[in-house]
Amino acid sequence: MNQFYTPTDHFSLLPALLLALFGCAILMLDFFVLPHPRQKRWLIFFALLGEFFAGLALYRQYRFLEDQSIPALRAFSDGLIIDGFSIFFNAIFVAAAVLVAIISYRYLEVEGEHHGEFYGLILLAQCGMYFLASGTELVTIFIGIELMAVTFYILVGFLRSDRRSNEAAMKYLLLGAFSSGFLAYGFSLLYAITGSTRLPKIAAELAQRPATDPLLLLAIVTTLVGLLFKVGAAPFHMWAPDAYEGAPTPVTAYLSVASKAASVAVLVRLFLGTLAPHRINWEPMLAVAVVLSLTIGNFSALSQTNLKRLLAFSSISHAGYILLGLIAGNRTGLTGICIYLFVYTFMNTGAFLVLISLRQKGMTGDDIDDLNGLIHRSPGHALLMALFLLSLGGIPPTAGFIAKYYIFLSLVETGHYALAITAALFVAVSIYYYFRIVRAMFLNEAGQLLPALPGWGARVGFAVTALATLAIGLYPEPIIRFAGTSLLR
Amino acid sequence: MDAILFFLFAAIAVVSAINVVVQRHPISSALSLVGVMGSLAVLYLLLGAEFIAAAQMIVYAGAIMVLFVFVIMLLNAGAEKSPRKGWILTAVAMPLLVLFLGMVSYIIQRGFPNAPLVVFGQFTGGSPKDVGMALFTRYLLPFEITSVLILIAIIGAVVLARKEME
Amino acid sequence: MNFLDLIWLIPLFPLAGAATMLLIGRKLDPQGHSDVALAPALAAEHGGDHGGGHAHAHGEHHHPATRRLIAFISPGAILLSLLFSLGAVAQLASLAKKSHEVILYTWITGLPFHTATGALSTFTADWGFLLDPLSSVMILVVTFVGFLIHVYATGYMAHDGGYYRFFGYLNLFVFFMLTLVLANNYALLFAGWEGVGLCSYLLIGFYFHKKSAGDAGNKAFIVNRIGDAGFLLGMFLLLSLTGSIQFTRVNEVLNSGVFHAETAGFGILSLTALFLFIGATGKSAQVPLYVWLPDAMEGPTPVSALIHAATMVTAGVYMVARSNALYSLTPETSAIVMGVGAFTAILSASIALVQNDIKRVLAYSTVSQLGYMFMAAGAGAYWVAVFHLYTHAFFKALLFLGSGSVIHAMSGEQDMRHMGALKDKIPTTFKTMFVGSVAIAGIPGLAGFFSKDEILWQVFSAPGGSKAVYIVGLITAAMTAFYMWRLMFMTFYGEPRMDEATAKHIHESPASMTVPLTILAAGSILAGWIGVPKLWSFLPESFRTFEHWLEPVFMRHAAEAAHGAHDAGHGDAALEWGLMGLSVAIAIGAILFARSLYGKAWKVDPIEALTGPMHKTLLNKWYVDEIYNYLFVDGLVKGGGTLLGRFDRRVVDGGVNGAGWLTRFTSTLSMWWDRWIIDGAVRLAALLAQIFSFPVRLIQTGQVQAYALVFLLGVGLFLGWRWMA
Repeated sequence: MNQFYTPTDHFSLLPALLLALFGCAILMLDFFVLPHPRQKRWLIFFALLGEFFAGLALYRQYRFLEDQSIPALRAFSDGLIIDGFSIFFNAIFVAAAVLVAIISYRYLEVEGEHHGEFYGLILLAQCGMYFLASGTELVTIFIGIELMAVTFYILVGFLRSDRRSNEAAMKYLLLGAFSSGFLAYGFSLLYAITGSTRLPKIAAELAQRPATDPLLLLAIVTTLVGLLFKVGAAPFHMWAPDAYEGAPTPVTAYLSVASKAASVAVLVRLFLGTLAPHRINWEPMLAVAVVLSLTIGNFSALSQTNLKRLLAFSSISHAGYILLGLIAGNRTGLTGICIYLFVYTFMNTGAFLVLISLRQKGMTGDDIDDLNGLIHRSPGHALLMALFLLSLGGIPPTAGFIAKYYIFLSLVETGHYALAITAALFVAVSIYYYFRIVRAMFLNEAGQLLPALPGWGARVGFAVTALATLAIGLYPEPIIRFAGTSLLR
Repeated sequence: MDAILFFLFAAIAVVSAINVVVQRHPISSALSLVGVMGSLAVLYLLLGAEFIAAAQMIVYAGAIMVLFVFVIMLLNAGAEKSPRKGWILTAVAMPLLVLFLGMVSYIIQRGFPNAPLVVFGQFTGGSPKDVGMALFTRYLLPFEITSVLILIAIIGAVVLARKEME
Repeated sequence: MNFLDLIWLIPLFPLAGAATMLLIGRKLDPQGHSDVALAPALAAEHGGDHGGGHAHAHGEHHHPATRRLIAFISPGAILLSLLFSLGAVAQLASLAKKSHEVILYTWITGLPFHTATGALSTFTADWGFLLDPLSSVMILVVTFVGFLIHVYATGYMAHDGGYYRFFGYLNLFVFFMLTLVLANNYALLFAGWEGVGLCSYLLIGFYFHKKSAGDAGNKAFIVNRIGDAGFLLGMFLLLSLTGSIQFTRVNEVLNSGVFHAETAGFGILSLTALFLFIGATGKSAQVPLYVWLPDAMEGPTPVSALIHAATMVTAGVYMVARSNALYSLTPETSAIVMGVGAFTAILSASIALVQNDIKRVLAYSTVSQLGYMFMAAGAGAYWVAVFHLYTHAFFKALLFLGSGSVIHAMSGEQDMRHMGALKDKIPTTFKTMFVGSVAIAGIPGLAGFFSKDEILWQVFSAPGGSKAVYIVGLITAAMTAFYMWRLMFMTFYGEPRMDEATAKHIHESPASMTVPLTILAAGSILAGWIGVPKLWSFLPESFRTFEHWLEPVFMRHAAEAAHGAHDAGHGDAALEWGLMGLSVAIAIGAILFARSLYGKAWKVDPIEALTGPMHKTLLNKWYVDEIYNYLFVDGLVKGGGTLLGRFDRRVVDGGVNGAGWLTRFTSTLSMWWDRWIIDGAVRLAALLAQIFSFPVRLIQTGQVQAYALVFLLGVGLFLGWRWMA
C-alpha cells in the first residue's frame, strides 16, 4: 500500500476485484479442472459463489456507510465513489447476474454451446458495470463502458453456429464502436473545457461556465448521444431489435436489464449531478429522445410477431419511461428510476425466462404463435407470463404499476403535464400488444409447443422473479426505502 | 515551419482515412489505415507527446495493422465485387456528414476564438516518465481495469473463433 | 364478533374461493377441462349464448359428485361475505360517526413533496378499507345480488365445460369488486378497478372457441384501459392538489374552503374531475367509450347480469359519488357529466328500440340506465344516483337472469323474432320478468319508479340541473318503457314463432335459477320503498332512510337539499306532483303503445313500419359501413398489405366486424356514430401504427450503415435543434 492505493481504495474496489477474480477463476477452472460437459454445473455454483462474495463486499460497504453515518466514501482521489446510489445499482447488477447465471444452464445445453466462458463473461461484464455505478472519473467510466460492451459483444455472438447470433453481434459491435467514438469525443471535450477528468472538479468548473457555451453544448450532445445508445433509447435504438433477437435469450435478458441499468446510472450521475446546472441544454433533447422512444417502441411493438423483437421494442419504450424520471429530476423522479430499474430486472427476466423454457431441440419457440393455448398445456407458465406481462404494462397490484406510479408522480410534481399525459396514453397502447400475447395464451387453441420441464435453475428463477413482481406490487415499502438510500447524494 | 508540417500530415491523415472507406480492395484499405496511423503519430510528435507517438507507431501501425493485413491475406479476401447499392444512403449521408463536420468545426472555433496556433514543443508532459507517473498514480485504477478489458478481448477472440472441440 | 374490524375479510372470502377453484378445481371437476373438445360441438348446436343446461339427453355427461362441491364453495364464499357485510353494516348503523376505517398495512409511501397549494405533504396509500354509508350500500348490493347470481349460475352453467374455471373467475371478480368499493384510497380503488376489468375480460371471453367472444373481451379490456389512462392522470392531479389520495383526507381538504368552486370557468380542479370522469366513462360504458358493453353480451348470461348490470359498470358511478366533494367544486365538469349521461341515455335507448337479440336490448338498456345515474350525479344529486344504482341492480339483474332463463328454455335462441307466447310455458320466468319490466318502466310502487322519478325531479329542479336534460330524460323514459315492453310482448305474448323442435323443448328452469329470480323480483318491488319522495308526506320519514343514511357522505348536498326542500313550498309541490304524473302517464302510454303494436299477432316487426322510410337507411347505417370499409379496410390492404394490414384485418376488423355483423340488422342512426367515430378511432390507431411502422420498416433494413446513418441523423437533430434555440 502506498498513498496511491490506500486501504480505502481497496475497500471500494473490493467487489469489482472479487468479480474479476472469480471470473478469471471460472475460466481457469473450466479449462483445467472441469473440461467435462457434465461438470459445468459446478461452474454455475462457482459463479454464484463469486456473486455471493461480491454481494458480501457490497453489504460491508453499506454497513460502513451506515455505521460511520457518512453519505459517501470517495476513493482513488475522486475516481470512485461509494454511496447509496452505487450500492443500490450494484445490488441490481448482482441480482441480474445471479438470475441470468442460473437460467442459462439448460438453454446453453440445448443450443449446444455450453462453454464455461459464458459464466466467466457474465461476471466480467458485471465487473465493468461496477465502474459505471461507482465511477466518478471519465476515463474509468469509459473503460467500464467498454468492458461491459465488449463482454456483451461476445455474449451476443455466443451461438456461433446461428447466423442470427453472429449478425447481431456484428451489428452491435459496429454500432457500439461508433457510439463509443461519440462518447469518447464528448468526454475529451469535457476535459478540454474543464481541465480535469474527475467529475467533482468538472462540476465545479462547469458551474461557472455560461449555459450558452457552444463547446459545452457539443460536449453534452455527444456524451448524451453515446449514452442513449447504450440505454437503447430512440433515435439511437436501431441496434436493439436485431441484437435482442439474435442473442441467446439469457443474454438478451441480461442485456435488456443490466446494461440498461448501468447506462442509466452513468446518465444520472452525469446529468443530474455534474451537468445539472446546464439543464436547459440537455432537457429538451432528452425529452425528444423520450417521446421518440415511447412512440417508436410502442408502435413498432404493435406489429411484431417475434416475441424477442416485441420485447426489444417494448424495452425501448421502457427506456423512455425511465428517462422520464431523469427529466423530472427531483427526488421522486430519482426514486422512480431506481425502483423502475429494480422492478424491471425481475419482470423482464421473468418474461424472458418463459421464452427460455420454450426453447427445445428443433423448436425455437420465440414466436407468438408458439404460445397459443399455453394455459392448457402448461398453466403455470401461462400464468407466470401473464403476471410478467401485466407488470410490464403497469397494471396494479404488480410491481410495474408501482414503478410507473412513481415516474408519473414525479412528472406531475415538476409540472411536466404534457409528458405525463403522453406517457399515460402510451401505457394504454402498450397494453394492446402485451395483451395480444396474453390472449394467445389463454384464448387460442393449444399449439404444439410444450415448455420443457423446469430444471432447478428455472424453478428458482421463476420463483424469485414472480415473487418479486407480486410482492413489490403488494408491499413496495421495503424497496422504496432501499431506493431512498440512493438519494443520499 | 510547424504549421506546414501540421497541415501536411493532417491532410495525409484525412485523405488516407477517406481512402480507407473508398477503396475496393481490403488490402488497400488496410494500407491506407496504416498511413492514417503514421500521420497521427507525427502529429502527436509535433505536439510534444513523444511517448504516445512511439506507442502509436509500435502498437497501432506495427502490431494491430500488421494483424489486420495478416488476416486479410489469410482469408484471401478479394476486392469488393458488388457495386454499392442503396445510393439513397450515400445521397443523404454525404451532405449530412459535411453539415455535421461543419457544425462541429464552427462550434470548436467559437469555443476557442482566441486560441493561438499551437506552438509545438510547448507541451513538456509527454515523455515516457511523465506518462508513466500519471498511469501509476492518478490514473492507476483505469490502468488496472484496462488489463481486464484486454483479457476479455482475448477471451472473446478465442470463444468466437476457435474450432469445435467435440 | 366485531364485524367492523373484520371488514377486510369481506373481499377475502371470494378470493379464497377463487384460489380454491383455480388451484384444485380441476380435480373437483375433471371434465371441466374438456371444454376444448366440447367446443366445436357446442358451437355447432347453437350459435349464440350457450343457453344453459338444456337437455343433453343425447350424451349426458357424468359429473362426479365433487362437482357439486364447486356449487357450494363458490356461492358459499359470497354468502359469507354477505353475512359479514350485514353484520358490519348493522354495527356501523349503531355508531354515532358512521365511518370505520381498517388499515391492514401501508402499501405505498412516498416522499415529502409540495402540493399545488404549497403545503408540504407526504402521501401514503394503504391497503386499507373504509366502511361508511356509501360503501356499505355498495357491499350489500354486490354481495346480495352477487350471491343470487352465483346460485343461478350453478344451474345455468351446469352442463358447461369449464365449470370450475367459470366460478373461479366469478369469485375473483367479486374479490376485486369488493376491494374497489371498500378501498379507502384511490390507489387501492384503482387496483380493484383494473382487477374487475381483467376478470371481465376473462369472463366475456369465456367461450373462447368463439372468435367473437375473444374479440369482445379484447375490445372491452382495451377500451377500458383508455379510460384508465384518464383515471390515473386524474388521480395524480388530485394528489398534487390535495396532498393525499385517501378519501377522508381528500374530502377534508376539498371541503375545507382552501379551494374555491370553479364557477368562473375551467380550472385545474375541473380538469382533474374531467380526467376522473373519463375513467368512469370507460368503466361505466358512457359515450364515447361505451362500445364494449353490447359486445360483452358474448359472455354467459350470469356474467352479463353480474358484471354488466349490477356491479362492475356501476364502479364509475361509485367513484364519482365518492369524489363528490371534487365534483361539487367544479360545476363545469358536473355539467359535462350530466350532459354525457343524458346523451348516452337517449342514444342507447334509441338503439334498444330496434334490437332483436334479447340480450342486446338489455345491454343497451343498461348503458341507458347508467346514463341516468350520471345525469343525477352531474346534477349534484349524488344520493339519487346511488339510489338508482341500487334499484337498478335488482331489476336489471332480474331481467338478465330472466332472459337467461328464456334462452335456456328456447335451447339457445336469442332472437326475439323467433319467440312468442311463452308466458304459459315458463310461468315463473314470465312473472318475474313481468315485475322487472314494470319496475324499469317506472310504474309507481316498484323500485324503478322511485329512483327514476327522483332523478327526473332533481335534474329538473336542482341548482345543478337543467330543464333540457329533463326533457331528454323524459323522452328516454318513454323509450325505455316502450322497448322493455316490446321485449316482453315479443317474447311472452302473441303467437309462437319458433320451430317445432325448439317448441317441444320449452321447459321451466330448475329451482336454482327460478328462486333467485323470485327473490330479485321481490326486491324489485320492495327495494324502492326506502327512498320515497318527500312529496309523499303522508309516509313517515322511515320510508326515506336511504337518503338519510347517505347524508354523512354527501354532507354538502344534504344541506343544500334541505334548503331546497324548505323552499319548495306549495307551488313547487304541485309542480312536482304534476311532473310525477306526467312521467307515469308517459310510461303507461308507452306500454300501451307497445301492446297495440305487439300484443296481437304480427308478421313483420312493427318497428320497421314505425321508423318508416328511415328504417332501410338505418338498417344500412346510412351506407356508412360501405364507405368505411372502402376507405379504411381496402385502403389499408392496398396501401401496403403487410404484416400490419393482416393484423389489422384479422384482429381489429375481425373484432369490429364480428360485432358489426350481428348488429348490422338492428342498427340505427346511433350505430352510425358507433361504427364511424368510435371504431374508426380504433382503426385510426392501427392506421397510425402502420404509418409509423412504415418508415421503421424502411429504415430498420438490417443494414448497419443505415443504422449508423439514423444515429448520425439523431446527433444532427440534437445538435442542430439546440443550436437554433
